[in-house]
Amino acid sequence: VLCLPPSTAEGEVAFMFLLIASVLCQVEPVGRWFEAFIKRRNINVSASFQELEDEKELSEESGDEELQLEEYPMLKTLDPKDWKNQDHYAVLGLGNIRYRATQKQIKAAHKSMVLKHHPDKRKAAGEQIGEGDNDYFTCITKAYEILSDPVKRRAFNSIDPTFDNSVPSKSEAKENFFEVFSPVFERNARWSNKKNVPKLGDMNSSFEEVDAFYSFWYNFDSWREFSYLDEEEKEKAECRDERRWIEKQNRAARALRKKEEMNRIRTLVDNAYSCDPRIKKFKEEEKAKKEAEKKAKVEAKRKEQEAKEKQRQAELEAARLAKEKEEEEVRQQALVAKKEKEIQKKAIKKERQKLRTTCKNWNYFSDNEADCVKMMEEVEKLCDRLELASLQCLNEALTSTTREGGKAAVVKQIEEINEQIRREKEEAEARMRQATKSSEKSTTGGGGGSKNWPEDDLQLLIKAVNLFPAGTNSRWEVIANYMNLHSTTGIKRTAKDVINKAKSLQKLDPHQKDDINKKAFDKFKKEHGVVPQMDSAAPSERFEGSPLDSAPWTTEEQKLLEQALKTYPVNTPERWEKIAAAVPGRSKKDCMKRYKVRSLTCSWDCHYPGLERILCFYFSIAYQRQYLTPAKLWTLVENFLFFVTQPQKSSKD
Amino acid sequence: MAAIGVHLGATCACAAVYKDGRADVVANDAGDRVTPAVVAFSESEEVVGLAAKQSRIRNISNTVVKVKQILGRSSGDPQAKKYIAESKCSIIEKNGKLQYEIDNKLINPEDVAKLIFSKMKETAQSALGSDVNDVVVTVPFDFGENQKNALGEAAAAAGFNVMRLIHEPSAALLAYGIGQDSPTGKSNVLVYKLGGTSLSITVIEVNSGIYRVLAANTDDSIGGVCFTEALAQHLASEFQRSCKHDIRGNPRAMMKLMNSADIAKHSLSTLGSANCFVDSLYDGLDFDCNVSRARFELICSSLFNKCVEAIKRLLQQVGFTADDINKVVLCGGSARIPKLQQLIKDIFPTVELLNSIPPDEVIPIGAAIEAGILLGKENTLLEEDALIECSAKDILLKGVDESGADKFTVLFPSGTPLPARRQHTLHAPGNISSVCLELYESLGKSPMNEEEKFAQIVLQDLDKKEDGLHDILTVLTMKRDGSLHVTCTDQDTGKCEVITVEVAS
Repeated sequence: VLCLPPSTAEGEVAFMFLLIASVLCQVEPVGRWFEAFIKRRNINVSASFQELEDEKELSEESGDEELQLEEYPMLKTLDPKDWKNQDHYAVLGLGNIRYRATQKQIKAAHKSMVLKHHPDKRKAAGEQIGEGDNDYFTCITKAYEILSDPVKRRAFNSIDPTFDNSVPSKSEAKENFFEVFSPVFERNARWSNKKNVPKLGDMNSSFEEVDAFYSFWYNFDSWREFSYLDEEEKEKAECRDERRWIEKQNRAARALRKKEEMNRIRTLVDNAYSCDPRIKKFKEEEKAKKEAEKKAKVEAKRKEQEAKEKQRQAELEAARLAKEKEEEEVRQQALVAKKEKEIQKKAIKKERQKLRTTCKNWNYFSDNEADCVKMMEEVEKLCDRLELASLQCLNEALTSTTREGGKAAVVKQIEEINEQIRREKEEAEARMRQATKSSEKSTTGGGGGSKNWPEDDLQLLIKAVNLFPAGTNSRWEVIANYMNLHSTTGIKRTAKDVINKAKSLQKLDPHQKDDINKKAFDKFKKEHGVVPQMDSAAPSERFEGSPLDSAPWTTEEQKLLEQALKTYPVNTPERWEKIAAAVPGRSKKDCMKRYKVRSLTCSWDCHYPGLERILCFYFSIAYQRQYLTPAKLWTLVENFLFFVTQPQKSSKD
Repeated sequence: MAAIGVHLGATCACAAVYKDGRADVVANDAGDRVTPAVVAFSESEEVVGLAAKQSRIRNISNTVVKVKQILGRSSGDPQAKKYIAESKCSIIEKNGKLQYEIDNKLINPEDVAKLIFSKMKETAQSALGSDVNDVVVTVPFDFGENQKNALGEAAAAAGFNVMRLIHEPSAALLAYGIGQDSPTGKSNVLVYKLGGTSLSITVIEVNSGIYRVLAANTDDSIGGVCFTEALAQHLASEFQRSCKHDIRGNPRAMMKLMNSADIAKHSLSTLGSANCFVDSLYDGLDFDCNVSRARFELICSSLFNKCVEAIKRLLQQVGFTADDINKVVLCGGSARIPKLQQLIKDIFPTVELLNSIPPDEVIPIGAAIEAGILLGKENTLLEEDALIECSAKDILLKGVDESGADKFTVLFPSGTPLPARRQHTLHAPGNISSVCLELYESLGKSPMNEEEKFAQIVLQDLDKKEDGLHDILTVLTMKRDGSLHVTCTDQDTGKCEVITVEVAS
């Protein structure tokens, strides 16, 4: 036995806190106490189980005390055979509380009814009693049997004859919606499986409340079932098959009724929903809200667009203005520049005219006709090349001095100009050379790049390659040997170098080929000294005669040649051999050359005196100003020569 | 109002019905209370039960056994792999599911389980005479979600209305009604289940009528079959000794011998010796042999040790001694073996060994009782795990014993489901005028110290009684949040002190 100790301290009650109070544990879902616990938790009672039970008992007892049994007046007239159609609650005197009656109340009511109506008791009172089951007391027994069994009671409750199944129509609820529908929903709420059925509410209910109400009723979960109305009783069946058949029938009937019931609820909720003034209100509000939102949206969009448009306009305007301004400036500048240019042009023109007139006045500082022409050319050149300032300077100098002084000044200018031109030309040549060199370098490339290939060697190589065509025995060695034998540069070349160069040459583009050709021509020019005068653009040299590489032709030889040419007409076979034989000391080749040169100079001298000079002059100008490339110039000269020689030939023939 | 409880084991299935407040196992059409969970497939029909088991000798590749072991498992599961390796039926994986391939037909393990459930339903309904479909099905404690679902689906496919799946050990407790009479008190129960193929031991704490599993251990390597096999091996060596034939390599002969050993094993549970007789076991030779119980126990001594060691290991794991266990429940067919019961009793000398119900019927009876409890209730299936609030610590009262030394008594044990109320009548010597109640909270069994004291209630001005005691009624109520309410009333004077202890937040 545990004994409590006596209190030692005077302190009355002292307590602290509990450190850990409760923990969650996983338990096995079995046993009646578990069920009780879960039930308690689900109905959310914080008190302990015993308390709950006690309270329940208490309330039931108190209910018992107030239980007022209503006497059912028709009780004695009931037909026990027709028990199915009787009102069991009324029979037991519970007509006033009906489905709300507790099991205890039913028990108590039954007890009191039995006490009152038991056949034995009535027999003692001398009343008439029906035979066996025919007495109305059977109805009481039956009523108790039904109501005491929860399943049967539920079945009876489901078809409670006093329950108003009616659903108010839409027209009924036009005026007073809440008065009409509120009791109907409250009435039907008793079928709900879930507790706390939401109330219909009133006009001031919030949207959430109304929404919850309708969603609850649209998803209404009813326990109402119609097994009580089963036509056949399963228990009556004699065998299993029959039982099954009956069950099948009953199930179908129940399902049908259940469906009807669901339809009824659905119609009710539909009707209520369509009549509900709140729904209308909410819908209108919603609509208004949407409209407002839409309007606001459109407005915002419009505003945005306007702002955009405005901005775009402003930008465009600004751009346009800027552009106009710019254009105006450009125009102004152009105008000014043009004016200045014109002024300058005019000034130059004036100065040139002045120079020309001065020079003319002084008869080009010479009396000689040729000198005059030459001077004229020079002066023209001066006019062309000199700047405005130097022109003015010159003119001033000219006007201020005498003829001799002027001549000196002009000549000085001319010399300067010539020098300048020469320099320019040199520069251009140097440039060109460099360009060709670099291109050559690039083409030789690789191992061959180390050794340079002068023009002569290139010519030689081409010749050699043509001389020893492909298929020659050890062709490239032979070519290299040939090159080494014949080369003037003295550079020793191997077969490999030769191959590289030949290959690069093969790859050369036409432009480079042109270059090579041109160089060949240049060489030719150098060798023969005929055409270079054209390029040098120095008319004064032109008249010094063409120096021939070989021994110069004497007058006798010339005469002999002419004679031979006449003796042997063009169609004579081996004409040049014969001519060469006629001119002693001269080979056939020399004769041909001489003939060609002479024919050219002669024809120019005879038929076009001055023309050649003028042409040369213009060609040189063109060349100096780089209108023509050397290649083009050569073509031009060739064409010219062709035209010049043609008439002479024809005249000859 | 009736309901069914079904236990589907690896080797056997058993059904019990709940009717008129009582649960009882029903016998099947063959008159057996336990039906072998064996399904044989033939061209025209499926045979479930004893007939299938007996015909397995001739129809081994088309007979499915131990379907519970593969139910709801995927091919990656080590248990399933082991099963596939041992199975005599071909099992293939298709669409991520394991299926039996029998006669070129694919059969789901769920379908096999469904056939067994259908058989159990038939059995139960023929006993009840009405078509009752409400059922509670038991599952092993170590079943995962997939296996539970598969089992539930199989039962539903058989036409059952599965009210709940409960764990086998809790069903065993329910069968003995442990903790069901009064909702107070706390005790620990060990459930020892030795089934056909597995041994599972569970320690359950019963507090206020609610069961909580403290620890569980399942060993798949030992079961009733092991005993049969050991006996069959012994019989084979006997046969070899007498007839000079080694039949261990002959599967058909071994199967015959296994069946015979099985029967002998069963009779050895009740008899001192059993006779094994097999007609034409091998090469036309009959086999006849007597096996005594002592011989059987000798053959299986290592197995027995293994069975008993598992108990000790589990107790060690929970940190309990044999004295902490208040009850031991035996279930599973092999728990019948007298030697095994003796060994268990040796471990728990002071503990009551519950074996009044035949061990292989305990679980279905428990399931049927649970079915009876759930009957007529709505929403019986639990959506989530059953988690409930429990008190975390013991609440103790300090008192003195006769010699005057401090003594602590548990007023409110830990693990009590909340809210709960506990009522105690305490006594104080009559010659004192004031008493002091000192309340302590404690976790485990460590000795008390002053720091764990959390409340002190003093009742003063009591009437002195020369002979007799003061009766103090103490009511402790703990709410779900853990706050404690203590009321002390002196029965004679009606003096009352009330305190409320809140939770430290």
